[in-house]
Amino acid sequence: MQRTVFPFLTLVCALAGFFPGVQMRAAGAPPVISVVKKGAEKNTVSLAGLNASGPNGQLFVRILTRNLEISGWFKVAPSGAVRVQGTVSDAGAGVQSACRVTWPGKAFNWNKVSMGGAEVRNQARQLADEMVRLIAGETGIAQSRIVFVNRRGKDNADLYVCYADGQDLMQITHDKVAAVGPRWAPNGRDIYYTSFLNGYPAVFRMVAGTERKALAAFKGLNTGAAVSPDGSTVALILSYEGNPELYVMTLANGRLARLTRTPHGSEASPCWSPDGRSIVYVSDIARSPQLYLVDVVSKKSRRLTYKGSENVNPDWHKNGQIVYATRRGGQYQIARMDPRVGESSCEIVSPAGEYEHPSWAPDGRHVVCSSRSTLYILDTLGDPAVRLLNIPGNWMSPDWSDR
Amino acid sequence: MKNRYLVIVNVALLGALLFMDTGCRTKAGGWRWPWQKDRSAELGAGSLTDPTMLENVDVAKITDEFGGIVGGARFEDTLQAVQGINLSPVYFAFDSYALPPSEVSKIELVAQHLRQNTSHVLVVEGHCDERGSNEYNLSLGENRALSVRSYLVNLGIAADRIQTRSYGEEKPAVAGSGEEVWRLNRRGEFALFQR
Repeated sequence: MQRTVFPFLTLVCALAGFFPGVQMRAAGAPPVISVVKKGAEKNTVSLAGLNASGPNGQLFVRILTRNLEISGWFKVAPSGAVRVQGTVSDAGAGVQSACRVTWPGKAFNWNKVSMGGAEVRNQARQLADEMVRLIAGETGIAQSRIVFVNRRGKDNADLYVCYADGQDLMQITHDKVAAVGPRWAPNGRDIYYTSFLNGYPAVFRMVAGTERKALAAFKGLNTGAAVSPDGSTVALILSYEGNPELYVMTLANGRLARLTRTPHGSEASPCWSPDGRSIVYVSDIARSPQLYLVDVVSKKSRRLTYKGSENVNPDWHKNGQIVYATRRGGQYQIARMDPRVGESSCEIVSPAGEYEHPSWAPDGRHVVCSSRSTLYILDTLGDPAVRLLNIPGNWMSPDWSDR
Repeated sequence: MKNRYLVIVNVALLGALLFMDTGCRTKAGGWRWPWQKDRSAELGAGSLTDPTMLENVDVAKITDEFGGIVGGARFEDTLQAVQGINLSPVYFAFDSYALPPSEVSKIELVAQHLRQNTSHVLVVEGHCDERGSNEYNLSLGENRALSVRSYLVNLGIAADRIQTRSYGEEKPAVAGSGEEVWRLNRRGEFALFQR
């Protein structure tokens, strides 16, 4: 019985694609979010007129509140210019919502039925994203996800995934071996990473958490996988021809092309430009690890960073900004720069303290990063950093999905 | 009872799906009906909720830019590890893969072992201390292992008897922090296999 139900349940998930909050995902148009607002001013939103008496309704309100606040656009208050009114009543394991969201000059209705707890949380995230869309012009980050590593001890780690609100945390590998640098593919579904599953570093692709394929398991080092914006090509760090170098592999036919020739350099952490024409990567060819930019067609590299004793872990957003970890005064901080301008545009976006391994949220405003075994969401417009998980453990190397 | 309810809801949703999703054009340009959805589209985000389904599939055939197949043939995949022989690790300076002169004698002992045991092959394992980017450390650890390998090749050991693997900072010899811990973790280790 359960068996026949399951395939239909997957169709239910597919149906979610028709709800307005995720429609852009189905249309395939990448949401490009331009931050039009300077500073971290908020719209006050009141949920006082929202009648949610049951436990599931209260869960809906709690998740909605958290996601509205994480979005950076709202402050939930007893009264406000924006009002969410109506009822969220418990219906079985889920809720039935009949709400109206109003603010001066705008309004929309939100009427939905959800069946289980996970769906209640997802619908609260959809509503939060809809409200952000009305203000920022593009959908919010509530439905995007973050993948990261949990390291338990030496050579003992696994990958986990959660939403931007830190909820629905899920362990997606059960290998208890070292895992490095998980990255989402642009489809927001596949994850590429380096695992020591077979006793040596090899690059794996996980399709929707169900199928895992070794993509590169050559002699020497296999790591650094990053998928191009069009999904056709993956950048890799491989050493099968001698020492670590940057390569690109065409996924359709497995064809490799080498982009660097640095017999005395260690390359790492490739990341594609939004147009897919260049790749920013780390190299220590000038002794300390610094950022370089290579043109994928001409294979010509140029150095991008000089300030700081190390510049590592670059992540390039669709809006053109690169975020990376820069080591200054013996501490890693998170910096942002526009490579079209150069390093003179660099500014530090992390608060005082040690922060590493940044990754852009799809909104181009928030950044997830690690700080001493804890993951934080930073706001480049100045809101205080938010801790992603309230679970003890050694959490590291976060990557935020592109959508 | 609950299952029956789900079936009814699911059948209703399937009906809705057939009406709403009246087929789409695939990337390859062909037409696909809703019930011909490819597996990846069906799996969607929801399937991440069942990690026990993770299934390993074969390695794709990989070619270089001239069409040659890039062979794997790693010692770890095909050979048995040799137990009971301890070869001393070699240690490196911070952010460096240059072999310090003090470590050379250890590598000469390894070369001697390989000369005397011609059926043994070697994997040199490169390690780093915990500081810095994990991804950069993987690359640095590989260069450390390669330095040791080059030295062995210069001593006359056949290059095809020595492979490398980098653990970066993922497998420290000593847990914790501090100069002495870091010094002991910046190392090259030796793993022998029987050919």
